[in-house]
Amino acid sequence: MLEPRFESALALRGEPTTTYVSMREITTRGMIDLRGLTSDRKFMAAAKAVLGFDLPKAPRTSNSFGDVKVLWLSPDQWLVLCAREKAPSLAAEFAKATENTHALAVDVSDMRSIIRIEGEGSREVMMKGCSLDFTDADFTPGYVRRVRFAEIAALFTIVDASTIDLYVFRSYANYAWDFLLKAARKGSEVGLFNGR
Amino acid sequence: MLLVTCPVCHASGDETDFHFGGQAHVARPATSNPEGISDEQQREYLFTRINPKGLHFERVRCDRGCGKWFHAARDTMTMEFKAFYGITELPPDHVIKQAKGAWAEYFTMRMKKQK
Repeated sequence: MLEPRFESALALRGEPTTTYVSMREITTRGMIDLRGLTSDRKFMAAAKAVLGFDLPKAPRTSNSFGDVKVLWLSPDQWLVLCAREKAPSLAAEFAKATENTHALAVDVSDMRSIIRIEGEGSREVMMKGCSLDFTDADFTPGYVRRVRFAEIAALFTIVDASTIDLYVFRSYANYAWDFLLKAARKGSEVGLFNGR
Repeated sequence: MLLVTCPVCHASGDETDFHFGGQAHVARPATSNPEGISDEQQREYLFTRINPKGLHFERVRCDRGCGKWFHAARDTMTMEFKAFYGITELPPDHVIKQAKGAWAEYFTMRMKKQK
């Protein structure tokens, strides 16, 4: 039998030299979609037992410990990030721990493509694609938000002051990459975050 | 551009981050007793909508955010949002008091039922 094999949707795209931020795809990250109710004590305890830390309850925040990170997506939905090869076993652990509760854990590592945007202009490039104000004080490292970016559904996290991870559905990866190439083309700098 | 605030995740955003879901508080008549529903009642439920000038109540989904449905009270003339409230809730009292016509009748009926 053939083993399932991961192939990146952006495998043929090299690191661009024409942009004023650096862009690269992160392919080594596994993702688990976790759903359950925060009011369900059994579920919250089970999630903590597997992760070693509490699920973030506050909107648009994330928690992490070691190489596992949990992003808040909705009052009853989280995205667990871990190493790609670890995702199936971690999803199975969640499934086992939440067996008797109304919860769901699925390995969705191949559902989204992750584009890391790095550089002083990374926030500015994001602002070119969505209606959010990235100069807002809320936008600190660890911030997570789902948003309509370049007319498609996207999710981003702020990694540090000049680094943003953009998650888009796999089938939109090439479109998002093309959009970013144009939005971040050298010479199109607005300079909004210069020296910030 | 309309600025909408989701009462579930408290995210403020442009209307394009949200999805409009039609008139609020439309109750399905056939939930408990499908046989007892007349054609007129079913027609009312499916097609008849209020189209007021002024205060209106609508459903909205936090489409690109937390994904939850909620309600919004909007003035159709000024486009001003008067309130955002949960999907299982009624609007705040001071907004109900401003309702006119068909909406005033509806909320009076709901209040009576609650008592």
